[in-house]
Amino acid sequence: MSSGELHHTLLPKIIALPIFSSDALSSVAYASQEIILVLTGVSLAAIGHVMPISLAVASLLVIVVISYRQTVRAYPSGGGAYIVAHENLGTFPGLLAASALMIDYILTVSVSITAGADAVVSAVPDLAHVKVELCIAFILFITLANLRGVRESGILFSVPTYGFVISIYILIITGFVKCIGGCPPAESAHVTLEHTAGAVSIFILLRAFAAGTSALTGVEAISNGVPAFRYPQSRNAATTLAIMGTISVSMFLGISWLAHGTHVVYTEELTTQRTVIAQIAAAMFANGWFFYVIQVMTAAILILAANTAYQDFPRLASILARDRFMPRQFLNRGDRLVFSNGILILAVFASGLIWAFRADINHLIQLYLVGVFISFTLSQFGMVVHWRKTHEPGWRRSAFINLFGGSVTAVVLCVVVATKFSKGAWIVIVAIPLLLMTMRAIHSHYRDLSAALAHPERRPPDKRPGDQHLVIYTERIDAAAARAVGYARSVRPKSVTAITTDTACQAAWSRLAPEIPIETLNGTSGGSTFKRVEAYLEARRAQIAGDDFLTVITPEVLQTQGLGEVIRHPALHRLKAQLVGEANAQVMDIPVLRSTIDPTVDQAHEPGRNYAIVLLAGLHNASLQAIEYAETLRATDIRAVSFGLDPEETERLGNEWLAARIPHPLEIDDSPFRDIGISLIQYIRPFEPDGIRSVVTVVIPEFIVTKRRHHFLHGKTALIVKRHLLFEPGVITVSVPYRI
Amino acid sequence: MVEKLARPPEEVRAENVRDWASALEGTVPIAGLAARQRCKVAGVVQNIRIDPRPGRDSMEVTITDGTGTMIAKWLGRQGMAGVQLGIGLVVEGIVGEQGRDRMILNPEYQLLPGPEAG
Repeated sequence: MSSGELHHTLLPKIIALPIFSSDALSSVAYASQEIILVLTGVSLAAIGHVMPISLAVASLLVIVVISYRQTVRAYPSGGGAYIVAHENLGTFPGLLAASALMIDYILTVSVSITAGADAVVSAVPDLAHVKVELCIAFILFITLANLRGVRESGILFSVPTYGFVISIYILIITGFVKCIGGCPPAESAHVTLEHTAGAVSIFILLRAFAAGTSALTGVEAISNGVPAFRYPQSRNAATTLAIMGTISVSMFLGISWLAHGTHVVYTEELTTQRTVIAQIAAAMFANGWFFYVIQVMTAAILILAANTAYQDFPRLASILARDRFMPRQFLNRGDRLVFSNGILILAVFASGLIWAFRADINHLIQLYLVGVFISFTLSQFGMVVHWRKTHEPGWRRSAFINLFGGSVTAVVLCVVVATKFSKGAWIVIVAIPLLLMTMRAIHSHYRDLSAALAHPERRPPDKRPGDQHLVIYTERIDAAAARAVGYARSVRPKSVTAITTDTACQAAWSRLAPEIPIETLNGTSGGSTFKRVEAYLEARRAQIAGDDFLTVITPEVLQTQGLGEVIRHPALHRLKAQLVGEANAQVMDIPVLRSTIDPTVDQAHEPGRNYAIVLLAGLHNASLQAIEYAETLRATDIRAVSFGLDPEETERLGNEWLAARIPHPLEIDDSPFRDIGISLIQYIRPFEPDGIRSVVTVVIPEFIVTKRRHHFLHGKTALIVKRHLLFEPGVITVSVPYRI
Repeated sequence: MVEKLARPPEEVRAENVRDWASALEGTVPIAGLAARQRCKVAGVVQNIRIDPRPGRDSMEVTITDGTGTMIAKWLGRQGMAGVQLGIGLVVEGIVGEQGRDRMILNPEYQLLPGPEAG
């Protein structure tokens, strides 16, 4: 899929509703149940409080929906809690909201998947002992579907959501009819509890209320997705939000009412019990086919709800990466336009939580909601500031709505924290600041990096053609070594030397290139090949003018095409990686594919044409150094190319290029499939490099960070590009490292 | 949906661009154009080349409308003036040739949101 398709399909309300509401609607599957669970902790009689508590939760839901309709109108480009809080309240609240949301997306997956598995187990009790495995299988399925990209399947999404809503409504209507002459009792109606005489305290009521607020999760999904709606986007999104709120409230109250009417008991004392919805359905339809329809639809919508987090988590990670609070790798869309790294991280954490809590929803749910209410609260207070700043017509009313909503959710947040802290919420309360501090640390690393890359004193000095000292490192005299000699001659550097670890090479070398002295690095000085090469380079460095480039050329004949080749010569590849990472030198790779060697041609001939291409991701000291490097090669043509940038970056790069007065052309090419390696190969092929008459030299600037723990903050683009180019005939790659 | 998944993405993309470009009034498809004809075409920017070398000072923008490609070339430009990859560009001028490509020199132009803009 190409970038152009990303926003192509705008969704009508009828499709957008199931896509963005599955999370919010699916919580009906467990919200009433969690209230009952808390109440049965006291006594059977306490279950009588389920309706008042449900009404309180429903009112809260209405308040939050009304409040979010404001956000949807004010942020037509998508107003997630991070964006709203960051823009209006500042960096710290923004990051707090972001940390809370990321943790909550993970929990959304864990809780929804576990609840989905519960629905399946309620229908097929034999599966109870493989519930954890069932959950992991569901996660695996969603992960694979999302890595492939599921955006196009809007219609597929509608079936479970509408199916769930319709079957719950049928359940509720049937329930009302059957309850006219007294409700049929649920299977657990006669369960007795070990303790029966607990008193209902305010704390218990608050805990039950906090448990019930799980009905609110996912309300914010629509506010993230406004750009996906058809025009008028904000109005359609606001309408969809209202419809979702109405459906959610009616289903939730209906289920709570039926649970109360059928006297369902759901308690921690029982280890094998069916979900509340399953018990109500069984009471209404016996165990007939419609009972199974409800279970299937419940499981399906819960899996979709988990899927919502799969859309939102990577998107948030990508926004954070753009703002430099997350590693750059999260910025990249995979080749199917999804954010693969974010998806994988989410899958790993969600599975880990399910595993750790043995797929027990009643424990998992204790962790849930802290993040939801932090982000609700920050987002709405952010909106209050937004209205005060904009002073749009009617801003006082809007600000009041958000202030009221935010205050209510702030109070609920306190209730949630107070009632759940000791039951597991403390894990989240510890995790959120840790995540927040990590994001700040990442930000300051990137800030230091860009300061170093832009530092005027570290701007690389101007170079002239031939300001080069070349060192050919060879293990045997073959076609690749000969081409290295030809290339070195074409550069006309200030010096060329050769080094080897094999004394047997010397005689053949003096026939191949009598003008280039060869030195055998003896093994007596000890240490690895790398250490010996490094020592040699340091000695050379001391002899030459400080500014000149010192390049190690590593020729290599590849026996076969394919990555097996890399595995066959691990030593050489490790050596190259170490030289780039640690030695004060540039590394030029001259690979020759054996099958392309023509034995009748003099391989050591200077290539007639050398097209130097500098691969550019931005204009900074590292790329300026690579351009200076290209200027020393006496190439026929020097140009810079850039692939896969975001549109705004392309304009900025062009303007910077002109302002910097760099005397070479710059080409900015579309990389619609987001794979720089393939785009680069397509760009190079028209030059028809064959290694003899013409070569293409790809100059790759690389930053080298000194601290090992910072490595993961930098993508492996250079490595990926080099791997792609290894088997291209006549293509030479040079790594020009820039140490931070 | 299945049909859409089965087709090569390049083709789907070209079709999206074609739909977008053909909806713009007053423009003609690039495919049918002959040289030395005055025309107005719309396309999506897929390549930008700026050459600041003295004497060659120019900016070339390759656009595609899903039927073909056209190079818009301006001499002596000092900035990008809003041109970005993926943006829509309407250019008007006399069709010329540069190698095997169609080219309009110093066209009048207008920037538009491309097909991928929401």
